[in-house]
Amino acid sequence: MRAAASLTLPRALHPGAWWLWALGLAAAASRTTNPVLLVLIIAVTGFVVTARRTDDPWAGAFSAFLKLSLVLIAIRVVLQALLSRSSQGVTVLFTLPEVPLPSWLAGVKLGGAVTAEAVLTATYAGLQLATILCCVGAANALASARRLLATVPGALYEAGVACVVALSFAPQLVTDARRIRQAHRLRGHSPRRLAGLRRTAMPVLEGALDRSIELAAAMDARGYGRTGNASPSSRRITTALVAGGLLSMCVGGYGLLDGSGAQLRGLPTLLLGTVLAGGGLAVGGRRTQRTRYRPDPWALPEWLVAGSGLSAAVALFATAATTPAVLTVPSPLALPAVPVAAVLGILVGLLPAVVAPPVPHRVGAVASRQPRTAQVSA
Amino acid sequence: MTTLRETPPQRLRPLVPVRARAALTLAACSLMGLVAFGWPFFVTPGPALDTSHAADAPWLFALLLPLLAAVVVAELTSGGMDAKAVALLGVLAAVGAALRALGPGTAGIEPTFLVIVLGGRVFGRGFGFVLGAVTIFAGALVTGGVGPWLPFQMFAAGWVGFFAGALPQVRGRTEVWTVAVYGLVAGVAYGALMNLWFWPFAAYGPEVSYAPGDSLAANAHRYGVFYLTTSLGYDVPRGVFTMLLVLLLGPAVLAALRRAARRAAFDATPTFVPPPEQPWR
Repeated sequence: MRAAASLTLPRALHPGAWWLWALGLAAAASRTTNPVLLVLIIAVTGFVVTARRTDDPWAGAFSAFLKLSLVLIAIRVVLQALLSRSSQGVTVLFTLPEVPLPSWLAGVKLGGAVTAEAVLTATYAGLQLATILCCVGAANALASARRLLATVPGALYEAGVACVVALSFAPQLVTDARRIRQAHRLRGHSPRRLAGLRRTAMPVLEGALDRSIELAAAMDARGYGRTGNASPSSRRITTALVAGGLLSMCVGGYGLLDGSGAQLRGLPTLLLGTVLAGGGLAVGGRRTQRTRYRPDPWALPEWLVAGSGLSAAVALFATAATTPAVLTVPSPLALPAVPVAAVLGILVGLLPAVVAPPVPHRVGAVASRQPRTAQVSA
Repeated sequence: MTTLRETPPQRLRPLVPVRARAALTLAACSLMGLVAFGWPFFVTPGPALDTSHAADAPWLFALLLPLLAAVVVAELTSGGMDAKAVALLGVLAAVGAALRALGPGTAGIEPTFLVIVLGGRVFGRGFGFVLGAVTIFAGALVTGGVGPWLPFQMFAAGWVGFFAGALPQVRGRTEVWTVAVYGLVAGVAYGALMNLWFWPFAAYGPEVSYAPGDSLAANAHRYGVFYLTTSLGYDVPRGVFTMLLVLLLGPAVLAALRRAARRAAFDATPTFVPPPEQPWR
């Protein structure tokens, strides 16, 4: 058995696998407003994140996304309570004082009776968005941004290199700013003035711009900008694919928006456009040729992780096709149903906590947090 | 004694030239991008997008936009960016991303806009678009904020950089004021656009939410109410803050960027002379 196919050998999983898993769960969440299923999906993502989190700076993203989604639900509930009308339910929880509003606000009502139905409807609708955000947050926490950038298609080579430069330089700039502020303090300047901002910002910017020229020289010396052997015909194919893709995307988008006649043709034309444009990106990538340093393997653990996320999506889509009633709450105050197939499908999403390779222990974990500018030009 | 003479104001060669092909791609992608932002206003009552699948429409566009952003950035940069332009793009994006990670983010105070607006102003339209998109992307990677909002932010920030590069060529105090007013407008417009993408999700109440199948005027009125009540308080401070930053730091930053451009000598075109014929070949 190849080492990459081992489930127990510590290594970083391919970031694409984590994103597919998370997008699968997010697609599952987009099919339902059943709070049981949504809370289950959040629990699954939270469990996997706790099991397979690294000590990278972005690993704290999940809790940030969780907080953001709680805030979103809270905002939604508060606004719904403030703006709701009694038409949304009869179970009055409490009554707020009503604020008179100008007439041009046409029927907006601030305050008044707050019903349990309105609050619960807002919570459930907010919960769906919150669940999708938690899935995305899990992918942010688990997938390494640097490794993700290594997989950008060749057509985006220049932009990808610029992103890697940005990721490597941003921590350096923070250190620069701290150093310059310290120097000002040693000279007796007070740091808390508007002019202090300018005195700190300008040296940081000048230093960064100077460094960009040094970096460009280093990149030139290492052979950056070597073009591949793209023939004129492949360039013409790229142009045709991109132009055709964009054209059919525009036509498809128009078909989707305009109801007259061509309704059904909208989505297929749009899909054809995305395929063509994606093909154009792939062919256009041939103009740069580059070798990859230690490419991430896509082996058995990646298939299992991606598959477990997709299984949740498949279970929910199948339930939506057969018994759509169990995926929604019939009335806000009713108890939600618990569809067994959907629950099992979501629980399969727990697999990555076991089948994803364990996180490698890094010996120099502190040292590697230092910005590594040398690898930019590699 | 020698006197330093001010070099006459001349246009810098755009680092990312917007040629015909790239311009057409940018126009088509921007059109689709506008539809992705404002589809509730464009949709005619009747099609499936408006009735049965209204809840899926925002996700459809959120999935479509990353591809569009990739296509437009690939097309803009395929014109042969040299190492200096890529390094400059990366470093400016790093400044923007660091500001994004450090910036308070509350009350819409977004110092990243300073970098995008001034970078687009000095280095041209195409560079401005790519700078806006790359800065937002790198900022999201640094802060772990990759989400469905990211492609929308990339497009909106790209437009902010693009139009900053398309401002009229004036110099001196007029330039700073032009860019400052543009920063005010861009800050407010960015907020209005970014609200628009989120609007179909924001079911805060029947009076401020998107109602599928309703007329354009009714929906526009509801968006106006939604905008006034939820986000104008964020957008106006963002615009004013950007304007004040440009007035305060603008002259120095513009001079620093132009100095970097002169040092990098983007205008210099290398000429290659074939070596003399070697007799032993």
